[in-house]
Amino acid sequence: MYKYSEQDHQLLLERVSQFRGQVDRRLKGELSEEEFKHQRLRNGLYLQLHAYMLRVAIPYGLLSSEQMRTLAHIARKYDKGYGHFSTRQNIQYNWPKLEDVPDILDDLAKVEMHAIQTSGNCIRNTTSDPLAGVARDEIEDPRPYCELIRQWSTFHPEFNFLPRKFKIAVSGATHDRAAVAVHDIGLRLVKSETSEETGFEVYVGGGLGRTPMLGKIIRKYLPKQDMLTYLEAILRVYNMLGRRDNIYKARIKILVHETGEERFRELVETEWEKIKAGGLFLRDEDFNWVKGFFNDPVYESLPDSDADFENLMLSNAEFARWVDKNIELHKQSGYRIVYLSLKTAHQPPGDVTADQMDAIADLADKYSLGHIRTTHRQNLVLSDVPLKDLPALWEELKALDLATPNYNHVTDIISCPGLDYCALATARSIPISQAITARFDDYDFINDLGDVSINISGCINACGHHHVANIGILGVNKKGTEVYQLTLGGSAREDAAIGKIIGPAFEADEIVDAVGKVLAVYLESREEPEETFLMTYRRLGQAPFKERLYG
Amino acid sequence: MALQVYTASLLKEGLVAYLALENGRPSWTSDIHQATVSEMATLDDLKQAAEQSEQDNIIVAPYAIDVLKTENGIVATTKREQIRAEGPTIELPQDTTRESRQAA
Ligand code: HEM
Ligand code: SF4
Repeated sequence: MYKYSEQDHQLLLERVSQFRGQVDRRLKGELSEEEFKHQRLRNGLYLQLHAYMLRVAIPYGLLSSEQMRTLAHIARKYDKGYGHFSTRQNIQYNWPKLEDVPDILDDLAKVEMHAIQTSGNCIRNTTSDPLAGVARDEIEDPRPYCELIRQWSTFHPEFNFLPRKFKIAVSGATHDRAAVAVHDIGLRLVKSETSEETGFEVYVGGGLGRTPMLGKIIRKYLPKQDMLTYLEAILRVYNMLGRRDNIYKARIKILVHETGEERFRELVETEWEKIKAGGLFLRDEDFNWVKGFFNDPVYESLPDSDADFENLMLSNAEFARWVDKNIELHKQSGYRIVYLSLKTAHQPPGDVTADQMDAIADLADKYSLGHIRTTHRQNLVLSDVPLKDLPALWEELKALDLATPNYNHVTDIISCPGLDYCALATARSIPISQAITARFDDYDFINDLGDVSINISGCINACGHHHVANIGILGVNKKGTEVYQLTLGGSAREDAAIGKIIGPAFEADEIVDAVGKVLAVYLESREEPEETFLMTYRRLGQAPFKERLYG
Repeated sequence: MALQVYTASLLKEGLVAYLALENGRPSWTSDIHQATVSEMATLDDLKQAAEQSEQDNIIVAPYAIDVLKTENGIVATTKREQIRAEGPTIELPQDTTRESRQAA
């Protein structure tokens, strides 16, 4: 994990003390809300439906156990005892008081965390693969590149007032677990066709929200030494030409769309020619320095089998289910990757209580080298668990309600906060996710359905990523009533696709039945159990689903 | 015209508040039932009091909402304002054991 330099620490402390002064002046009335609003947004502080909301950055989703304990402490001391892990791998607190925020930021700074650039029209927290560094299908670890991007983009003077917010995702594996195609810029590490080198496939102009679009590949292969110069060139073109006249047309996706892919590529390449040999060109020593922060831990050499583990697999069906659903193979033999499901019938998706956070930190120390990762599907990951420890870990996770065997299955629902918290919402989303979970919370059914995703957003801003779910749900306000539009066929993975609206919206008390019908059509129509929901949908198209829903 | 009350967020806490006028003096309450409805004072008076409180840095972003007077007291007419008045419609996560949560 990256460790702050003395300078980094200093910068952060200065920033907190500056904000403390601003809060103080605001509370005394020396700053108006108009003047203060920009300052608080620059520090991740929103004013939401019921209270302030503080968004804390988790760089590319990586947390130490010490940081997790601080997050627990903040939830307990300054909030209502819980936090919300979001689809951008960050954590949000829903109830902080303005006067406490500087103290919260001080506590965060002690463990090298902050809320800078989590809001506003700047380059936001770079997101990545939650399995970075441990995945079997990895081409190269994306984290050193994320860290280089973080350092380049933090306080970048030229890109502090972009036309709109800007999100970058980096994936280093064959399978895309970072949704690179729906970010402003997506970088996929790929092998060169002509040498042993790795470089990037560069996607630009993806995004969700009002106008969902998949990113266009504007460069098939970018040598990694050129990563920052090329990013700088893209951002410059965007900063110059992106629309500032209309907030709905200000994202880079609209610029790429309106300029045309070909022309946009030319503009970037022209800009790049001017700066590619400049100071941002990455040298071997740059890579070596940053990679030093992400060296493999010292893995024990462990056998890839364990008698107690195997016995429990045979004797305890519940354990076997959890292993089947929430465990993934590790690149290191004798180790496994464990998903902690934040999707239960008892808590909103992504919410974690302070006690759970503390317990997760302890489990990370005890079983997983002291690290925790967050995922864009609002779950957590323990990345380095010895196979032999799985039975003990499972017992502890069960007691914490973090062992629901549903990863990437129908009850692993992404839900944005919706109208229960969010000032922009047009409808509630959490109660819908809970109703769907309650209806389908049966292991055999979940298992039979296999790999399928349901995502819910409470308004067109699409924080819940409904466009890229196999089954997407969008809450809309229709003449004062909350209704729900159903979208089918989306995907956020390497086969990324934007789902299509299937027909007129459903009332809140009809939407769960509607989802049930869609699932039933799939189960009746699949040619074999291996054919996933998405495969069946792609084979048959909308017709049979439409027929069942509206026929 | 529909009845209205004034609402805003408290500057310090960020919490939802409603304007209650007592002898013409503004106070802010979290309880919508305590709010002064636009039939007891003119909407202009409410607006002025709200703006004064904003200038005094008690509250942020005041606005008027439509309400109904029912036998259960004052009820906002939109879902959004009902949720602001009552809080989230879901149970907030709590540190209880799994057993007690499941039993609940
Ligand atoms: C609760 C207060 C929130 C506010 C005020 C807010 C505001 C917004 C707005 C205005 C957009 C649309 C931006 C655009 O495309 O032009 C947006 C999109 C988005 N937000 Fe939020 N949001 C909130 C909460 C969240 C939460 C809780 C999450 C994660 C669960 C989130 C993650 C995202 C994501 C991933 C997008 C999609 C943008 C894209 O890639 O095109 N936001 N948000
Ligand atoms: S999708 Fe809409 S309702 Fe949901 S969090 Fe984003 S802005 Fe709020």
